[in-house]
Amino acid sequence: MAKSRNGTDIQFAIIGSAGDGTIAAGDIMKRAAALMGYKVIAFDIYPPEIRGFGKCISRIRISSQQTYSLKHKSDVLISLNDSHAIAHVGEVRDFGAVLFEDSPIAAIPEGGHISAHIAAAQVPYGFANRRICEEATGKARSRNIVALGYAAGLFDIPAEIFHEIIAQKFAKKPQAVTDDNIRAFDAGFAAGKATFKLDDVRVGMPQQVANGKDAVMMTGNGAVARGFLEAGIDTYFGYPITPATSIMERLAAALPRAGGRFLQTEDEIAAISATLGAGYAGARAATATSGPGLALMTEMMGLGVMAEVPFVVVVSQRGGPSTGLPTKTEQSDLNLAVFGGSGDARRIVLAPTNVEGCYRCAGMAFEIAEKYQTPVIVLIDLYLSNRFETVIPPRENVFAPKPRIKPELPENQPYRRFALTDDGISPRALPGDEGHMHTVTGLEHNELGRPSDALHQQMNAKRHDKLTSATRYPGLTTCKRFGDEGRVKVGILGWGSTFGEILETMYAAQDEGISCAAMKVVMLSPLPEERINEFFDDCDHILVPELNHEGQFANLVSGALGRPVVRLNRTTGAPMMVDEILAEVRRLAQTGIGEGTHSPVQQQGATT
Amino acid sequence: MADPLHHVIIGSGSAGFGAAATLRENDPDCRISMITMDSLPFYNRYDLPRIFRGCTDWHELLAVPPAYYSENRITLRRHNKVVDVDGKTQQIRLAHQEVIHFDSLLVCAGGRAYLPETLIDSAPLMHGFGSYEAAMRLYRDLPENGHAVMIGGDMIGIDLALTLLDTGRRVTLVTNAQTFWPHEPDDELRAQLLQALARRGIEVVQDARPATVTTPEGAERGRVVAFEDGTTMTADVVIPSCGLVPMVEFMLNAGVDIERGLLVTPELGTTHPHIWAAGDVCQIWNDEEKAYKFYHGWKNVRVMGELAARNIKGAHEIFDVKVEDRIEVDDQGNIHSTFWTH
Amino acid sequence: MNEHVKPVYLEEKLDEIRADGHLAYRSKSLPTWCPGCGYFAMQEGLTIALNRLGIRNEDAVVVSGIGCSSRFPFFVNTYGFHTLHGRTLPVATGVKTANDALTVVAIGGDGDGFAIGGGHIPHAARRNVDMTYMVFDNGIYGLTKGQTSPTTAVGFRSKTTPYANEDQPLHPLMMLLAYRASWVGQAYAGRPHHLADMMEQAIAHRGFSYLHILSPCVTFDKTDRTYANLNMQVQDLPDDHDPTDLMAAMAQAAAHEIPALGLFYREERPTLTDVMNDTAERARNAPAPAE
Repeated sequence: MAKSRNGTDIQFAIIGSAGDGTIAAGDIMKRAAALMGYKVIAFDIYPPEIRGFGKCISRIRISSQQTYSLKHKSDVLISLNDSHAIAHVGEVRDFGAVLFEDSPIAAIPEGGHISAHIAAAQVPYGFANRRICEEATGKARSRNIVALGYAAGLFDIPAEIFHEIIAQKFAKKPQAVTDDNIRAFDAGFAAGKATFKLDDVRVGMPQQVANGKDAVMMTGNGAVARGFLEAGIDTYFGYPITPATSIMERLAAALPRAGGRFLQTEDEIAAISATLGAGYAGARAATATSGPGLALMTEMMGLGVMAEVPFVVVVSQRGGPSTGLPTKTEQSDLNLAVFGGSGDARRIVLAPTNVEGCYRCAGMAFEIAEKYQTPVIVLIDLYLSNRFETVIPPRENVFAPKPRIKPELPENQPYRRFALTDDGISPRALPGDEGHMHTVTGLEHNELGRPSDALHQQMNAKRHDKLTSATRYPGLTTCKRFGDEGRVKVGILGWGSTFGEILETMYAAQDEGISCAAMKVVMLSPLPEERINEFFDDCDHILVPELNHEGQFANLVSGALGRPVVRLNRTTGAPMMVDEILAEVRRLAQTGIGEGTHSPVQQQGATT
Repeated sequence: MADPLHHVIIGSGSAGFGAAATLRENDPDCRISMITMDSLPFYNRYDLPRIFRGCTDWHELLAVPPAYYSENRITLRRHNKVVDVDGKTQQIRLAHQEVIHFDSLLVCAGGRAYLPETLIDSAPLMHGFGSYEAAMRLYRDLPENGHAVMIGGDMIGIDLALTLLDTGRRVTLVTNAQTFWPHEPDDELRAQLLQALARRGIEVVQDARPATVTTPEGAERGRVVAFEDGTTMTADVVIPSCGLVPMVEFMLNAGVDIERGLLVTPELGTTHPHIWAAGDVCQIWNDEEKAYKFYHGWKNVRVMGELAARNIKGAHEIFDVKVEDRIEVDDQGNIHSTFWTH
Repeated sequence: MNEHVKPVYLEEKLDEIRADGHLAYRSKSLPTWCPGCGYFAMQEGLTIALNRLGIRNEDAVVVSGIGCSSRFPFFVNTYGFHTLHGRTLPVATGVKTANDALTVVAIGGDGDGFAIGGGHIPHAARRNVDMTYMVFDNGIYGLTKGQTSPTTAVGFRSKTTPYANEDQPLHPLMMLLAYRASWVGQAYAGRPHHLADMMEQAIAHRGFSYLHILSPCVTFDKTDRTYANLNMQVQDLPDDHDPTDLMAAMAQAAAHEIPALGLFYREERPTLTDVMNDTAERARNAPAPAE
């Protein structure tokens, strides 16, 4: 029943400043782990400043079994710069390891060295990083690689794996750069190997592995870009906004090579307008933005719904409202994504819960948009956008567009672009199709597309009902249940990136003997109500943890089903902690909840 | 409110740990920093032979749980090497270039293993026993029925040698001037003691002067001890055990008097009003003998640390050692040392 | 006598018109504009221009925003997109980017273009998107029944400037010249033949062509931009104006309160499509981007 979690499950935190090669070291570590066949989840944090010596953190969880989120505590901290790492010593678990430079060249003020901050239960490993690096390469530059080598030697990870990744990483640079870095790595490795290991961090080899070479390390944003490209995206119009920008940057590089077209527009409104224009003309068109951008785009979303134009908008949420917290994660744009805009403007909203989901949702979004002739939002968040996971993509492209079937022209009748059909989907002609000339509009219109108020109620119903079958779209997970089958004490219902922590919580609860299940809801609009309702039937209590203040998903589900939920809301800017959710699950499993807190409109603070 | 006083202790052995605990008992507000080159929190060195009885997990050797340090707000700085103490500015410079100010400094740096000059070049091939890591290396390199050659055989080493013997290993003791250090038994007693060891099963080799330690040709493990007379002896490990020398190099600029160790008054104060010393690193004035004397052994050392801490906090206690320097063999042939008996 | 002559004349004229073929570009919907509105001339002009250029109905897309003039797509028999207020140009950019083969004509009024949509004009112009942007400028918001627009004259009284407008009106031609539109011309609803000629030239131009069309609002402006006033004010560009000279074009645009009619400026330079194709070429020859 409960999933036993043997094998390797180690989280590294590499911390330094922007100039220390922190992210590069993390990149090598995560790629090496993936090549070995580990499952990897990783998350990099960059400084908010554009340049300079701000703090960088690369957290990498490598495990021989599937994991779903980063751990709250790291097993190993590698400090490349104590002034940044000191604040994070506390995240290392007891008997975990802290690796640091013990022979810096510059004077350090009292308390400025990390050794003064390592708790007695943690294991310090000081090593002469700079000296080792200079002896190996004649320069001090590759200290990040020395540190990786030291860690690999200490934890007995094969050096050859790292050699391969280092060679790949510096492939475009002169050979001497690769050679220096390999030398730096080996010198660090030897030092690590010679060090007496006192921590209890165990890196075993992964047990069962799909071939590590099939696994691709991707961020959520990278997965979105890859899904788009495999789906044959034709146009991307976008405007830079954190944390969605890297989707745009990847496509700026990749799209022209792939035969598509890319344009950075003057603002988000232009981005979505052009995207809609391209979608109208038959292109697979997408843009990506964050909450503030989506706010600007909502009017055009409404036009897409009204004029029945397919296009895709990826929204990576950050803290809000307004400019909010551009570099912190949050799940508070659900309302805007699902409901934003004027009128009854139902659209499709997909919220993947992991990086592979980003890839799949982005890959399928065009097909779904085309089938239902409506905008599709792929709703992710900063945590999902920027975190790395290993994904094994299918060997064949499953997202490529299928040939379009032109609508037939009825004899002696004008073409009815918005014909009322049984499934609400009308045959769609594209500009260039002979004889099908018509005008589409944001005004309410008749079947021909001419402005008319007469059919407003029927047209509203058409635009609404045509989407209903999307909740069972073939090949797309719109919701899924995990954990114990049948009747359970606590059901955790979640969406988006938080579902990783929810699954980890569920497994932890099962290990404690609590009967527990979890359900992820990927399609937020239209909502797969029937299956969510069945889940409610099976659970004594439904807990909805999410990273917003108002419980937007709780409201959505509770409102749609008319059934109560218990909320757990946090807006700390960080992912929710497993311990926090687990505490709530325990409480529900033991004591249940009183009438007062069991109300669908109850706000944050289920624990009080 | 003024900044709390910063009490710095160099060393995390019995003396240092005892001092830190006592300081905290006497002053709930002061800052306490322990600086040590070790990588583990305090454990009793004399417990290390337990490793050969299967107690290899360092967690079990710790004298107090790690949480003790955070609960008592003792900053434990491990992997820290002191390179200089400036008595004038009351600053300590560490090898990693950090400078720490102290209001009081208690030096409990202890001693490092002494090695006869002839064997210094062979040091990398010998197995020390001064720390958990060293002991574990010895444990790994010495098979259960293996052969250890011990050179010297100070009281720490003899304790180890007897444990090795009791756990099935073969031990050869090559005696020298430091055998039974810090005790200095006369010839008669020395002969009795060696005889007792031999009866226990230790192979005692006298009057042999080791020249080099090497690895046997073509073998991956094992050691060869070559003696000055040309004879050789093979073993799995060679353990030097020739007493301790005080670690005082970093105190040369501190403005305190140094002979072999740091010279202190019976109150354990040095010639610097804010610097104190305790344990194997210091020589204490003995008014009866009119000389500065070492008082080794964990019992003495612990008492010194605690006493120094109280004196730092304003007491004027005298280190009035009642632990006699005595070593003897009982009727059953067991050796008893007043310093080392547990 | 008149009763007899007139039908004959009309019949001949109609035959001539039918034979010309441009009526095939009219849709079956009748325009909703007020009788006498200058926009009827625009409708006629565009159908003539498309016909003359031989652009097939299905290959033309007319994109508009919101306003009286933006109703235009419903009245021509091409593909049409009646979008949102102010968003004509980016939507049209998307259409053209998706399908180069289409002839894209963006149409809007002075409010749609220069008030709410003003932020998009410089970018469509500088990128030289291969489309034609026609602004029907009547200096007023007609669809919402008579409010001041960015091109309303100083002193004009509208429902939102009951004490007279004091804002300096925008100068669309100078703006478009400054934004480096690659074709800038002006026409007038009261001179329909010239208007049709200018529309034809504008659509034929490869790149972003901007045609500013002066028109009266016969319902909400009885005093300022009337046919009578405009007829008196408009004039042709001098014969010796060199449309490849940007500074001369600027000078001409600034010379009169109501600038002259004709082609102010024209240049050949790569269109957005050209640039994108060039980028694609260079991208294909560059090393693969990192994963």
